[in-house]
Amino acid sequence: MEEISENESWNNWFRRHGPKLLFCARQWTASMADAEDVVQDAFVRFWRRQRGLSGEPLALLLTSVRRAGLDVWRRRVRRVAREAGALGDDPAPLFEPLPEGDDRRMAIEAALRRLPPEQREVLALKVWGGLTFAEIAGQLGIPPNTAASRYRYALAALRRELTVADCHG
Amino acid sequence: MDEDFHELEAELGRLRPANPTRELLQRIERGLEPRGRGWLWAAIPAACAILLIAAFGIRRAARPAAGAREPPPSPALRPVAVRDVLVGSRDEGYVLLADGWPARRVREAHLDTIVWKDPRSASSLQWSLPREEIRIVPVAFE
Repeated sequence: MEEISENESWNNWFRRHGPKLLFCARQWTASMADAEDVVQDAFVRFWRRQRGLSGEPLALLLTSVRRAGLDVWRRRVRRVAREAGALGDDPAPLFEPLPEGDDRRMAIEAALRRLPPEQREVLALKVWGGLTFAEIAGQLGIPPNTAASRYRYALAALRRELTVADCHG
Repeated sequence: MDEDFHELEAELGRLRPANPTRELLQRIERGLEPRGRGWLWAAIPAACAILLIAAFGIRRAARPAAGAREPPPSPALRPVAVRDVLVGSRDEGYVLLADGWPARRVREAHLDTIVWKDPRSASSLQWSLPREEIRIVPVAFE
């Protein structure tokens, strides 16, 4: 991952990494609105005060976003929603439309929303956050092997879901 | 990773997370606008204390070991965690923005904590700094 140069504008950096950040934030919040609030707070604070720190900017930001997301969650006491999965009730699309058609994207989104939250967050951090298993383990406070297992379970579950969806057209 | 999953991983990797809304970009832009300084009451003493501790630590880390011919490697502290605790907030009422729209001004007191770790020596450094933030929250009429 890249470090941030002195002359980098927030706009350019956010254009490249904002979608990933928001996507990961949505794993830990109950709605797009909550995810945007959390990303806004974390990013503004990061850009003002923390971007000069050495290290991986995206990993640092993800730590802030996850912590803030879970705080918001606790404040709102959405235990039931969380057990159902953060993305369960959020209608906003997770991905940009695909040029070749949207059916496949929608099938993947639906399958993702049905994954257990602990598997989905690992998948999100790995595939779209670009983190290693060691970094994911650090973020989530779990052993790297557990992160890798959850990732494999998530992929297996996704493939099962998508195969069923394909069979039913 | 499992050979069987390569195709699925590649397919997932081709999906681009949805772009942030224009509203979010505007909110961030407003959040990054220059603003007045406050809060020196607690920040200066805390910052001084932290600087003293950090300077002392760096000196100790940089001091060559007795008999050593080469200087020791510089500390490889890397930030590993950032925490922000909201200590309190005060709603200061309504203000008018430059474009005439009303907004609420909220003054928040935070405590930022950054933790650095050096994986080679397992040493760590924690830095806590109080911070005041003034948030301008646009008011939406429905």
